[in-house]
Amino acid sequence: MKTWKDELEGRMPADWATEIDLFENQMELRRQGKVEEKLFAETRLRRGAYGQRYDNGQRNDGTGTKALAYPNGALTKGPDTIWDAPGMQRIKIPFGGLNPDQMDVLADLAEEYSDGICHVTTRQDIQLHYVHFDDTPSLLRRLAAIGITTREACGNSVRNVTACPLAGVCRDESFDVTPYANASMKFLLGHPDVQDFGRKFKIAFSGCRQHACGLVNMHDMGAIAVTREIDGETVRGFELYVGGGLGAVPYDAVLFDEFVREDEILPITQAISRVFARLGEKRNRARARIKFLVKNLGMEEFKRLVLEERAKLPHDDRWAAYLDELPSHGEKPLKVGASLNGAARPEGFDAWCETNVYRQRQPGYCVAAVTLPLGDITSHQLRELAAIARRYVGESVRTTVEQNIVLRWVSEADLPQLYEELRALGLSAPGAGSIVDVVSCPGTDTCKLGIASSRGLAGELQSRLAAKAMELDKAVRDMRIKISGCFNSCGQHHISDLGFYGVSRNVGGYTVPHFQVVVGGKWVDNGGSYGLPIGAVPSKRIPDVVTAMTDAYLRERQGQETFQEYTQRVGKKALKDKLAPFTKVPAREEDASFYSDWGDPREFTIGDMGTGECAGEVVSLVDSDLSLAEAMVFDSQLALENGDFTAVADKSYQAMLQGAKALVKMRFLDITDDPDQIVAEFKQRYYDTEIFFDRFGGGRFGQYLFRRHEQKEQPTDTAAGRQLVEEASLFVEACHACSAKLAAQGSTAQGGAAEGVTSTVVTLEL
Amino acid sequence: MGGHTDVDGLQRIGVKFYLSETPPLDAVIPVFHRWIQTAAVEGMLIDIADYSHVPDGPGVMLIAHEGNYAVDLNGGRPGVLYYRKQALAGDLDQRVRAVCAAALRAAALLEGEASLGGVKLRGDELQIFANDRLLAPNDGATEAAFAPVLTGLLDRLYAGAPRQLCRDQDPRRRFNVDVKAERGADAATLLQRLTA
Repeated sequence: MKTWKDELEGRMPADWATEIDLFENQMELRRQGKVEEKLFAETRLRRGAYGQRYDNGQRNDGTGTKALAYPNGALTKGPDTIWDAPGMQRIKIPFGGLNPDQMDVLADLAEEYSDGICHVTTRQDIQLHYVHFDDTPSLLRRLAAIGITTREACGNSVRNVTACPLAGVCRDESFDVTPYANASMKFLLGHPDVQDFGRKFKIAFSGCRQHACGLVNMHDMGAIAVTREIDGETVRGFELYVGGGLGAVPYDAVLFDEFVREDEILPITQAISRVFARLGEKRNRARARIKFLVKNLGMEEFKRLVLEERAKLPHDDRWAAYLDELPSHGEKPLKVGASLNGAARPEGFDAWCETNVYRQRQPGYCVAAVTLPLGDITSHQLRELAAIARRYVGESVRTTVEQNIVLRWVSEADLPQLYEELRALGLSAPGAGSIVDVVSCPGTDTCKLGIASSRGLAGELQSRLAAKAMELDKAVRDMRIKISGCFNSCGQHHISDLGFYGVSRNVGGYTVPHFQVVVGGKWVDNGGSYGLPIGAVPSKRIPDVVTAMTDAYLRERQGQETFQEYTQRVGKKALKDKLAPFTKVPAREEDASFYSDWGDPREFTIGDMGTGECAGEVVSLVDSDLSLAEAMVFDSQLALENGDFTAVADKSYQAMLQGAKALVKMRFLDITDDPDQIVAEFKQRYYDTEIFFDRFGGGRFGQYLFRRHEQKEQPTDTAAGRQLVEEASLFVEACHACSAKLAAQGSTAQGGAAEGVTSTVVTLEL
Repeated sequence: MGGHTDVDGLQRIGVKFYLSETPPLDAVIPVFHRWIQTAAVEGMLIDIADYSHVPDGPGVMLIAHEGNYAVDLNGGRPGVLYYRKQALAGDLDQRVRAVCAAALRAAALLEGEASLGGVKLRGDELQIFANDRLLAPNDGATEAAFAPVLTGLLDRLYAGAPRQLCRDQDPRRRFNVDVKAERGADAATLLQRLTA
């Protein structure tokens, strides 16, 4: 029987072919039980082969949790991850650059191994879902043969190196960052100095400070192109930032150096990697990103260590070898640049041009954005888009962090015909980079961490907004909506005008999907500032929230104020008040739709519910206590808005204590207000027993409380204050999740009644 | 099979039976969820993938370990799709029939779903495809090797009725053949003929 290995022999880079052979061998050893599952999980992840929802062999089908009887259920590819369960394959696309041949193969792979869909991610990757792990070696070989590796697409290493999709054609950039991003990717791929990180490391390049496309502020390391006049010559370099990141608690990147010369960017990156590998946290994943190291050391000390490391690095020719090729770098346009010059404009063309076409700095050329709904493109569409690219632009195609694809170097005169061809493929939707172009992570559709259906909500919003796009005021059209299925921010909800992330609430014994509403984020200036959550709203009311917020903005805006400026001016209290009409969840008998998620008719809750009256009262008490904790978190946000850092520290800490106390009270009604007792009881009853633990994050949120209790931190600036607020918010969310988990299990007290409650009151046990 | 061993080994076989009209996709989602609850169709049923937001895309899919089902809209035409991902027993002829039977069982069930507004199989049209460019590239050799199996299949399904076959000649696409028969039948009849 033919194999792809034989078929592609000699067509893959030799080292990549060897790596894939080794990986296939490791798979076989794991099948034979000769590789420990945790070790194998990291091996697999470093090939970009992820687990996917339900790969633990369990799924709630709407009537209860049922076992998924995979044929080889005993064999695992990682802890709690069944070998046979379909997974997700992440494919790194450095700086988003694709050529038509690669697009053809990606389309084939999606069709043969996945579900016929290529999904563009918020970091310019492509993801395939529902891939069977046994197909991975063939899939990787077919990618290798077209110059794509998935090595280090996941795992604790350097992830995809991203860059502005307009690099090289942007009207505002200092210079084209593409060759630098490409050189960084090649230099760091498999480099020994990036193999011992405690967590992942994400790098981004941007050609300018003011636009968003590079998103430098939210990266572990970000470089903004700048030039300097030195001795009468224009010298290229980078404004270098380190320690940014979204995730549960977002951090702004900190300026490392105002000007790192172009020939120093790779050695400095290497030195940073060494310091991170040596001093970064390894055991506690929740604090292992470089942002924590930078914060703990302070930038001054961090930089001193990096420069010390730099001085010791043995010379490497690769640091500057690529610079010799820079003069010949650049895409060659396929067509002659020519203006539209009165050519006929098909129906819908002008609206598409307004949002989807960007005029390049090179006269006569444009970038055309292909808007992908939720980042999805079918195999057929991708294959035909490759054919279009061949006809109009050659190899100048890139993915974007807004989950679209752009064709660069389109001759302006070709735009009408290009539009017609895209329309025939269903790829001519206008609205790229507007409020209609909703960004979403996979959420509960496929992600193991998803809490609520981000894609379901995104699809609903997109469909409603698209229907009235032409009627929307330009100020609203220019807004952005980004959605994550949980607090981990893969949907980048912190840097949008309106951001949402999935949470849940217990209502009358049922778990109800909600989204936290995040406002105040800044998309421009490389994701220049982060929004904060102002309150949780039932998932089914989010479209109403979008309408209310945008209406209020139009009504109350002053002058040309952007939505972000508007939210800053009116303040969070006023914004939270606008949410109030949408927060109530009707009783299930009144409207059951609130109790399931978008696009999923299953009851949102897990397991049989405890509906006993007494248990219900106890649940009500905990919900009421947690609601108070939420209000206290919000108070700390208001204090932050007022620059009162002492109050921020106090209120956010009190909110965490209130959350902890709410849980403790479920088992020990006589708990006092003494912080020492609350923390001790919480630790003993919930932390040490791991009841509070998040399935994937372990005890990270509990540690927030312990740290605050021990250290009584006082923030000195807004960034530090915001972290305390975020941590308090996450801790209270974790309390909600813990309470919901106990309710779902039908218990308020493990193994018996709560102390101080008669045994006839609490009737449910684990 | 004319000794064409590569096609003989083909496992990733798929078929799409065209529907007379597109059912409301939002109504298909709860149907597929119920099918998982009741194990209504064959296979280890895992989850639903909703791609109704993608124009002419995979529609709504029912993901199973062995193969995926879908109310599929690719090519701008609705149909009940089933394609195999795991190996099947038997020779190629038996495997092709097994795949078609799985799709027809799903189609027959869909026809009985009141919430889908009486969706009907066209009964006279299908597309059969090989989802494996290694063993069955889209070329004349695959077509020749596949022809006896296809003839046998269509003789059974359409009870010897004349039909037109059209292979998509685009070498970029997977091997696929569209079939239009002069006389069709409903899903249950097609299934009965196939398994008789």
